[in-house]
Amino acid sequence: MNLSKNTNDSLISAGTRLRDNRQITVSPTVQATQYATDLIFDVSGEEPQITRGKNHEFYIPLGENEFLKIVPALSEKGFVLISLFCVQDFEDNPGFSLFYMFRLSGYTDVFAFMRHVEMETTSIAKVFPSACWYEREISDGFGIEFTDAFDKRRLFLHEAYPEGFHPLLKSFKNGKIQAVKNPKEAYPFKQVEGKGVYQIPVGPVHAGIIEPGHFRFSVIGEPILNLEIRLFYKHRGIEKLAEGKRPSACIPIAEAISGDETVANAVSFCMAVEKIAGIEIPTRASYLRAILLELERIYSHMGDLSGMITDIGFPRMTTPFLIHREKFFRQNELLTGSRFMRSVIDLGGIKKDIPAEVLSKLAIYLKTFVPQFESEIKDVNASSSLIDRFSTTGILKKKFIVPLNLTGPIARAAGASYDVRLDHPYGIYKDKPPERAIKTTGDVLSRFKVKAAEILNSATLIQELIASIPEGAIVAEVTEFALSNIPHGYALSMVEAARGQNLHWVYVRNGLIERYKVRTASFCNWQAIEHAVLGNVVPDFPLINKSLNLSYAGTDL
Amino acid sequence: MNASFLLFTLLNTGFILLVSPFFMSLIKKVKAYVQGRKGPKLLQSYFDLRKLMQKEVVYSPNSSIIMRITPYLNLGALLLATLFVPVVFIPNAPAGIGNVIVFLYLLVIERFFTSLSGLDSGSAFGGMGSSRLMSLSAVIEPTMIIAFAALAYVLKTVNFHEMFAITAGSTIPESPTLSLISISLFIIIIVETGRIPVDNPATHLELTMINEAMILEQSGKNLALIELAHAIKQTILMAILINTLAPFGLATELTFTGIVISCFYFLVKASLLAGLIGLFESSIAKMRLFRLPGFYMMAFFFSALTILMEVFI
Repeated sequence: MNLSKNTNDSLISAGTRLRDNRQITVSPTVQATQYATDLIFDVSGEEPQITRGKNHEFYIPLGENEFLKIVPALSEKGFVLISLFCVQDFEDNPGFSLFYMFRLSGYTDVFAFMRHVEMETTSIAKVFPSACWYEREISDGFGIEFTDAFDKRRLFLHEAYPEGFHPLLKSFKNGKIQAVKNPKEAYPFKQVEGKGVYQIPVGPVHAGIIEPGHFRFSVIGEPILNLEIRLFYKHRGIEKLAEGKRPSACIPIAEAISGDETVANAVSFCMAVEKIAGIEIPTRASYLRAILLELERIYSHMGDLSGMITDIGFPRMTTPFLIHREKFFRQNELLTGSRFMRSVIDLGGIKKDIPAEVLSKLAIYLKTFVPQFESEIKDVNASSSLIDRFSTTGILKKKFIVPLNLTGPIARAAGASYDVRLDHPYGIYKDKPPERAIKTTGDVLSRFKVKAAEILNSATLIQELIASIPEGAIVAEVTEFALSNIPHGYALSMVEAARGQNLHWVYVRNGLIERYKVRTASFCNWQAIEHAVLGNVVPDFPLINKSLNLSYAGTDL
Repeated sequence: MNASFLLFTLLNTGFILLVSPFFMSLIKKVKAYVQGRKGPKLLQSYFDLRKLMQKEVVYSPNSSIIMRITPYLNLGALLLATLFVPVVFIPNAPAGIGNVIVFLYLLVIERFFTSLSGLDSGSAFGGMGSSRLMSLSAVIEPTMIIAFAALAYVLKTVNFHEMFAITAGSTIPESPTLSLISISLFIIIIVETGRIPVDNPATHLELTMINEAMILEQSGKNLALIELAHAIKQTILMAILINTLAPFGLATELTFTGIVISCFYFLVKASLLAGLIGLFESSIAKMRLFRLPGFYMMAFFFSALTILMEVFI
């Protein structure tokens, strides 16, 4: 124990804060488990029972006392809370198990701390602010009360849902519910008071073709003093919907989580199931998945670039990016038969092979696209009126990145380097790592530049992949057999979607999905907007919102 | 009141009323072309007005009489203002008609009542637009006054009819300083019609709006009247710039051919100007709200410069 402790100390010295810009070291799992064991031993004096997960994660069940002791230590060591969810009757353990998923910079593995709780338990939101939404989500879904939480308001169940309605409980069967008419109490927004302070309520119905969300601004004149967001206006019950279905029947559900993250979510879901079933997908399928994932990133970022310029009223500059986006949609259609690349990803690989000539056409297209796109970005940089609007607008400070688990281009524009493709490599990214695009200012301009750079990086990566793609099967041979004999088990998988880190946790029992937890990047990133807008003027809000590009659907499952 | 003025009233007002929506569509068309789109039909604004005229008017339960009278007051004020800016011929007008100060106040009436109706609807956005416009007006109004003062100083009269009678005589601008004032007048057109970089007439983003925010709650026939008044305002302001900088073709006497030629020349010149406005709008991004006074200051600067030059040179 002491021996190994020394090696760990050299790796991460006690009290070292997370440094996101540090060169990533892919350390062996042994070291990560050892690190966790030592940490828990140091804090609680007991040796934990660590179970190896199926996909580079490991599970550490903790008693109540140990858990309470370990939480502050985790925060001190720079652990990032990436998800928190509840599972009922986990592994024949009646009651509720809470899973606290953490990552630590420098480790590719994910640390999952498990805690068995009753209907009442304690909150960790004061130590890990990102836990706040998760705990409210668990309260709504399961009825568990976090007694010392600072925010106990409902999250996804609005006032119209009746008291005592907790849809994720196993005892709840899908069916019609009686909506509460004229709810007694309105949702309590944070009240900001003072001379000249007034509130501007915006939404949930907006003027554009956009999803519903409510924004409550407290302003003095134009500068924003406080913003509180309220989402979850069209809860679809995706997690509940998946329960009791065969894994293969859940791919369309995963694809429907958020339209422009179709491939990312489908791939992530499939990866989790494949890990449980023990399926190794063929190399060609891995390549094709990565090509589609990168195409999705390109068209999504392209939409953001055009959207940001539209929002400052400069449509002439918008057009080139809109045209590119459309062209990529057409490429998607040529490649897969679907503009949004629906029903392409399948368990064990992909559904339909993409012929070599179609791929080479894509490569040729990308060759002409890259210089054209570069010159358009040059035009954008040369427009002083545009730079004036983008620069210093909506600054997202780096200090929020770890506490709120902000990921994706918005975090990389604020100085973080975290990218799931590089820090928890999956699929073909292990062999073909993409380049990191990092800026440090954190304003709209740096988000614009990071997204533009990522488009170019993705285009380069796709060209590389096409050049080196091997021939071969596109579905693992064992798939059918493995799926029909899928063992009990659970696995975590993560992907870098266009918006950041998407996390899927799948638990299979008797061949059926027992629990499916999805957390898209937007769920965490939405909270960034409340901080990024402060001090900005109200008319700059739409621009800041667009530059963060947050998905309503991806948050409201 | 003489017969010539009566005819002027009918012809001038009727002509401006008739062609104003055309220039709105034309600017949209130019902007669309620059963006690589086809854009709306050139008569689209007329179709839109007809559509709105047939629609029902919906009032917010919070609204008062202000909301109901604003469209009529706006259109009335602007129709009256058309008498001040001759485009068909220069009549022998009664005293007061054509006075620059009265003209400015007619524009202020429109701005004032639009702002009030923005507040009156009780929606969050209307009030926001009104408050923005009123804050910015504190800078716009002195700018407009100084611009028209410069015009009056150069042409030695405070009456538009007399001014244009002087300029119309020559094919080139009466004084080189008029071209400086024209820059101010161009900025005033952009500001008064709420175009980029001041405001984005094509946006759906309520939080960024100034002019559009105030009329968000207007609907049906009332909205049509407000849109029409807006189009007329744009045409009048364009006419002032055209008559100052390129007055050739404007008839100074009442003859049939004179009127036809005036109308023809005006249509051509105003179309060119509308194209220029469209190009200008396409060339820059909307400014930050608090940078706008800087844009108005440019107009102020050129007008003040004109006066200084006239005084000292």
